Amino acid sequence: MFHVAGSGERAILSSAITSAAAFIFGFAIAMAAAGPSAVAQTSTPQTPTQQTPTEQAPTQTPKPVAAQPPAPPKDATPAEVLDDKDVETVLGREIYSIAGEDMGRIVDVLVDHKGNIRAAIIDFGGFLGVGSRKLAVDWRAIQFNPDRAILSLTRDQVRVAPEYKDGEPVVILGPGSPAAAKPPHPQQTQQNAKPAATAPAK
Amino acid sequence: MLVMETKTNAPQPSRRSLAGLDWFIFFLADVQTGFGPFVAVYLTAAQWTQQDIGFILSVTGLVSLLGRMPGGALVDAARSERNAAAIAVVCIGLSALIFAAMPAFAPVLFASILSSGANCILAPAIGAISLGLVGHALIGPRLGRNARFASLGTGFAAAGMGITGYFFSSRAVFIVTALLLVPTLIALSQIRATEVDPVRAHSGVASPDRPDYGLFRLALNPPLLAFAACNALFQLANAAMLPLMGSIMTMRSANWATVLIAACIIVPQLVVAALSPWVGRQADRWGRRPLLLLGFGALPLRCLLFAYTPEPTLVVFFQILDGISAAALGVLVPLVIADIARDTGRFNLAQGAVGTAVGVGASVSTSFAGYVSDHYSSQTAFLDLAAIATFGFFFVLVAMPETRPR
Repeated sequence: MFHVAGSGERAILSSAITSAAAFIFGFAIAMAAAGPSAVAQTSTPQTPTQQTPTEQAPTQTPKPVAAQPPAPPKDATPAEVLDDKDVETVLGREIYSIAGEDMGRIVDVLVDHKGNIRAAIIDFGGFLGVGSRKLAVDWRAIQFNPDRAILSLTRDQVRVAPEYKDGEPVVILGPGSPAAAKPPHPQQTQQNAKPAATAPAK
Repeated sequence: MLVMETKTNAPQPSRRSLAGLDWFIFFLADVQTGFGPFVAVYLTAAQWTQQDIGFILSVTGLVSLLGRMPGGALVDAARSERNAAAIAVVCIGLSALIFAAMPAFAPVLFASILSSGANCILAPAIGAISLGLVGHALIGPRLGRNARFASLGTGFAAAGMGITGYFFSSRAVFIVTALLLVPTLIALSQIRATEVDPVRAHSGVASPDRPDYGLFRLALNPPLLAFAACNALFQLANAAMLPLMGSIMTMRSANWATVLIAACIIVPQLVVAALSPWVGRQADRWGRRPLLLLGFGALPLRCLLFAYTPEPTLVVFFQILDGISAAALGVLVPLVIADIARDTGRFNLAQGAVGTAVGVGASVSTSFAGYVSDHYSSQTAFLDLAAIATFGFFFVLVAMPETRPR
């Protein structure tokens, strides 16, 4: 009864003791983080040079001062409106190879200190959560099509990569990395060229 | 002791009650499998960050570690094990619904605590209902049957979840889990409440002139301490084996890894289903020690085979050894505890105590093996686990007395 082979309870238990403190404070922190972080995204004042608002939300400009249209009034929040078909979330997104193989899901994204997106962390392989591996793949190797996200690497190319771990050197698999040294398919290089040129996909 | 035995224990449980217990255990194993490592898969699909998922898993682990002994004590105090189990099952079904309907932080945290708390009650409650139905004289074969139905349930659930998750969605898994609440409760209701003797279920004595065993006397009982240590050692060596091997399989074989891992989960369940009734019968004939040594002896062998296997497909066959260990321990852990706690009235608290030791061993195991395999190699990790398992085997040999009543 205590021994259910392969059951997840013990994997789940693994970090139980170390997180005793987190148990006490975590709830409050997480609750606090949920709200303000969303606000922070829109309310953080950005330098006007970086920002090029294409469309101003009409509600955001309360006084028609008209003298300086590009610079928003002091009390208004700079904002931009996009069609939700043009953007998408990446967390939890299923990702496939060109041949249609299941490559797992995107669970995290790595950025450098300039804010450039470098890699996606994918949770790859396994059965019901047993035996899956977290791997870092080059952001430019992913193409975000409207229907599915496609990684220009195959299962065979990514499976031997060292697992991504916090606090350790990151091996990013990608079009140019030696870890994926196998000669790419001609079809694949075609696919690579496009996302490599402009990082965020269409 | 023998006189009391004949006076109180001539239980004649009906076929209906016994079949009810069979199927209750089967469906419950189905329900519980949904809350395994699959939670991480589901929450990832629900756009959770890895930090939040890790936090939820830690909370779940902590509750099931700290809740075992209070859960056991609660079942000892309960006058109706059946009602205690029913409440716990409803809690788990409710948790599954919350998971499926509201994968947001606060509801999921609540549901995780609820389900792992309910599990702390259910584990001892099943042992208590069994003992209450059949009494000490027939508990061995009964626990063999329990283990058979539990592993059949887990095997079916793993296969079913794989299919459901593949063809539908990971959310569908939790909806099915919640729906399984219905047959679980129907099966539980088939167990006649009048046939579950509460005194017998707590391993208590009928005569009122002998008071219940004190908490500390039980805690300091040498065979119970030794047995808890044995189980902690076993899990310390065992718990990390399959997750580590699964990760290696994913690394070695891209296309077959998923199928192989699924086979590695299901094969031991089938072995347990086939073997455990035999274990239950032999435990009365041979005694407990030979079978314990069989279960503990299969583990170091499996560790060594994992360390030196040239081919991941062979691991599926090595998992037969996992089934042998699981069949032996699945029957003998509650059986030996029932032996030790006999006439104390604290059977369920003792189950909780050993359960805590199992949990501690398991939680240290995955961290330890993960560390060794990262900094040295996975082979070193398996060899270290083999050393611990060998030590566990000799610990049983030296420290564990035969507990079969004469």
